[in-house]
Amino acid sequence: MGKPSAAATPQRPDSNSDNIVRLVEAAQAGDRSAFAEIFAVYRRTVRGIVLSRVPYAEVDDLVQDVFLQAMQRLSSLRDPAAFPGWLAAIARNRATDCLRSAPRTTPLTDDLPIADADRTEALLVLALIQGLPDAYSETLTLRLVEGMTGPEIAARTGLTEGSVRVNLHRGMKQLRERLERKPA
Amino acid sequence: MTGDYLWDRSGLPDPDVVRLERLLGTLREADHPARPLVFPIAVRVRRPAMASIMMVTALAATVIGLIAVSWRGASAPLPGLEVTRLEGTPTIESHPVTDRLELRAGGWLETDAQARASIDIASIGRVEVEPGTRLGLVSTRPGQHRLQLTRGTMHALIWAPPGQFAVDTPSSVAVDLGCAYTLRVDDDGVGHIRVTTGWVGFEWSGRESFIPAGAVCLTRPALGPGTPYFEDTSAPFRAALEVLDLQAGTAAERSAALDRILTEVRAKDAVTLWHLLSRVDRSERGRVFDRLAQFAPPPSGVTRAGVLAGQKQMLDDWWDTLGLGAANWWRVWKQQWREK
Repeated sequence: MGKPSAAATPQRPDSNSDNIVRLVEAAQAGDRSAFAEIFAVYRRTVRGIVLSRVPYAEVDDLVQDVFLQAMQRLSSLRDPAAFPGWLAAIARNRATDCLRSAPRTTPLTDDLPIADADRTEALLVLALIQGLPDAYSETLTLRLVEGMTGPEIAARTGLTEGSVRVNLHRGMKQLRERLERKPA
Repeated sequence: MTGDYLWDRSGLPDPDVVRLERLLGTLREADHPARPLVFPIAVRVRRPAMASIMMVTALAATVIGLIAVSWRGASAPLPGLEVTRLEGTPTIESHPVTDRLELRAGGWLETDAQARASIDIASIGRVEVEPGTRLGLVSTRPGQHRLQLTRGTMHALIWAPPGQFAVDTPSSVAVDLGCAYTLRVDDDGVGHIRVTTGWVGFEWSGRESFIPAGAVCLTRPALGPGTPYFEDTSAPFRAALEVLDLQAGTAAERSAALDRILTEVRAKDAVTLWHLLSRVDRSERGRVFDRLAQFAPPPSGVTRAGVLAGQKQMLDDWWDTLGLGAANWWRVWKQQWREK
């Protein structure tokens, strides 16, 4: 089922998630502004998770899709403290569905001027990251593209800090090896 | 440790990481106007249906009755799970699945050498069934879904909170703890699990194994779950582990097998050592304790004497320091499946 994944242990819901618990409970009670706040806080995380798996051009639509699905299912989430891991799982699943329905491609020039060498190189490096095992590509995308720190990634995805740290370092090691092999 | 730039931008910046941050940061959403979340008309977050005091008054008379009905409804069995044909012709109770068909409790889904199917596990996940598989639905109700795999291979992807999905095999029950995994049962009843995300608990007759992402574990009829190990361990390491799991050979041969494991074990294999603490002969536990302590020192309150005596709480406390999730979490979730 997909690529092998390295250390990716779900974090036990804990008392540090008070704020998200409050927001989720309010959203479950029908408070749209609470859900909008959740969207604002978690958009980057969902985007990073999705971007680590699907072509760049499809990311924005998929992020919308993930949040709409989350909203539809929110009432079935019994433990609001589990929300980060739950949302991350929806994002991974939607990205997987997207890949199954359409072969993975990496459009480089559709919406980008070919002269933008940096952007083109960024997409090439992103393609290398996407080729890593899922757990590595996800954490590296959140770290290097979305600019989140390791502790933030752990808090927003429901993974333990230990898992995120391991995934970052192992992923970075593999990425360096692939970058060295990449033709100039 | 003086800092780890990759982890939290502390310490000396790693030039490679800085360069990648700058390059890949151009793909960040902040570079584009963030698209607002658009709610389609059909999507509505559930609201309490209390529009007016009169409505509240009218509803009050039926509240007690509704509570009773909804309480029963929350745990009432669901009619079944939807099966979708992926390839070939899967069958449910000999009926071909040409597109979609419901698998009811007590029913069996079977695939021949060409057939594949998927099962929607209510709203909590999906199972894909490979060719040559026999998979039954034991029960399905909100928050609890249970399958039985007697032969073949299934891939599970579960996004519900832990403990809502379990699979019986001939020698263990596999309880999902929020993850993705592949479970295979051979014709001789031996089960193989490979966890790709999250972790899975295997339990049989009080013997339990915790299998984290990247690890595999076998479960054998009459023996139950074996010791989990990471896929990149060496063949001799795995062979030695099998000797211990099967309790094969003489005491001297088992001791030699343990020698091999203790020599080859790496820090990441702490999960394997932790399981061996309660599985090797009592006289050998000290050696396992000492090796595990080199990788993950026992926390306060966990003593050598207590661990060698097999004190469960101490084992759990030590487990909790391995960064693989809390042991009592697993025990809480496991309980509901045991009581069935």
